[in-house]
Amino acid sequence: MFKNLIADSAAKSPWVYHINTGSCNGCDIELVAAITPRFDAERFGVKLAGTPRHADIVVVTGPVTAQSKERLIRTLEQVPEPRVIVAMGTCPNSCNVFKNSYSVCGPLENFCHVDVSIAGCSPKPEAVLAGIVQATEILKQKRKEMAK
Amino acid sequence: MSFSFPYLKYAVGNLFKKSSCDMYPFVESTAADKYRGRIAYDPTKCINCGLCMKVCSPSAITRTEKEVEGGKEITFHFDLTSCTFCGMCQDFCPQKAIELTADYGMVGKREELFTEGSYVKEAPAGKLGIGDDCVFCGLCAKMCPQGAITVDRANKSWTVDEDKCVKCGVCVGKCPKKTLDFQKPQVQCGEDCVYCGLCAKMCPQGAITVDRPNKSWTVDEDKCVKCGVCVGKCPKKTLDFQKPQVQCGEDCVYCGLCAKMCPQGAITVDRPNKSWTVDKEKCVLCGMCVSKCPKKALKI
Repeated sequence: MFKNLIADSAAKSPWVYHINTGSCNGCDIELVAAITPRFDAERFGVKLAGTPRHADIVVVTGPVTAQSKERLIRTLEQVPEPRVIVAMGTCPNSCNVFKNSYSVCGPLENFCHVDVSIAGCSPKPEAVLAGIVQATEILKQKRKEMAK
Repeated sequence: MSFSFPYLKYAVGNLFKKSSCDMYPFVESTAADKYRGRIAYDPTKCINCGLCMKVCSPSAITRTEKEVEGGKEITFHFDLTSCTFCGMCQDFCPQKAIELTADYGMVGKREELFTEGSYVKEAPAGKLGIGDDCVFCGLCAKMCPQGAITVDRANKSWTVDEDKCVKCGVCVGKCPKKTLDFQKPQVQCGEDCVYCGLCAKMCPQGAITVDRPNKSWTVDEDKCVKCGVCVGKCPKKTLDFQKPQVQCGEDCVYCGLCAKMCPQGAITVDRPNKSWTVDKEKCVLCGMCVSKCPKKALKI
């Protein structure tokens, strides 16, 4: 019963960890904007986590550069299951204009399963909110499947 | 000891104010004016010039062509998760078939985030024209459902009213000499050309070759899709789609027989100055001059 209580409350407050894999900072600014009082992602229980070990949702920005590849993999390994990975912006989805660059190892699909894609360069905070809401739904499903 | 709470007034006041939160997604929020979001593509306007693909820096636009009955089925696929929303495709599209809308809600599975449109492009049908074999029987004029063709047998002239012609092709099928057909409009370069090469650079199909040292200008008819980008870009305004025209070769002796026989009076021959000119506006390409030329120097 106690376990159920924890699971229920955790489902309603997904913590988000944000990792930048060589993004231009545009998406990062929009993600931070989504946390501000005007858009207020905390209405959905979302809170930025300081470490990947606390995270439920991982938001990835950037095309995954050669430099950040190792760090990305190491960070994702630390995120406990169930986890939802959100590819935010065009870069992690397809490498944008950096396709076929010598220093880019992306897209993010090469390294992990992407649950939600947010298109836009950069996406509006509203689109980020919609993406996070969708991610919470997926997280709930994943929790249910794990509990079985 | 004095207490002061300088922000107390604001703190209490804010308790009674409306929330500053936008409340999205429960309340719809519109994007700013001229926001560049989801791509809208109108296949009915598209002419398959491919310029959008050429200017797209992340190569988010792909085209597939499929042979179908009555022409080619052309499909344009815009990958929204690859698009950088720069708006170049919208700016460069000569037909304004692409538009970046204010729809910003592009969220979901990657495979679902795209815009696609397809249309069937008919085999090119240009201006109606007759060949050398025409006997001016007038059957085409009689059969034309639009009454667009006029044949003057006495003067051996054949004209088509471009505004009336609907390119139905009835006349083509009826011609007993099989000399009537649709002619492809062809890009041609005029005399003012300075061989700057801008047309070749802008051609989305790479159909134009300009050789500046040799002052040569050529167009590959198979590659040309008649998008008209080169015509718009030509700084000397000398490039245009031209109907086939009568040309005079080197064998011309300036006898003036063609000018005399032309039913439209479109040809001027100046024997002393050895000049031969044709008025493109007047010429109906009847071919009379070609058949009369004693030196066989004329051709269409």
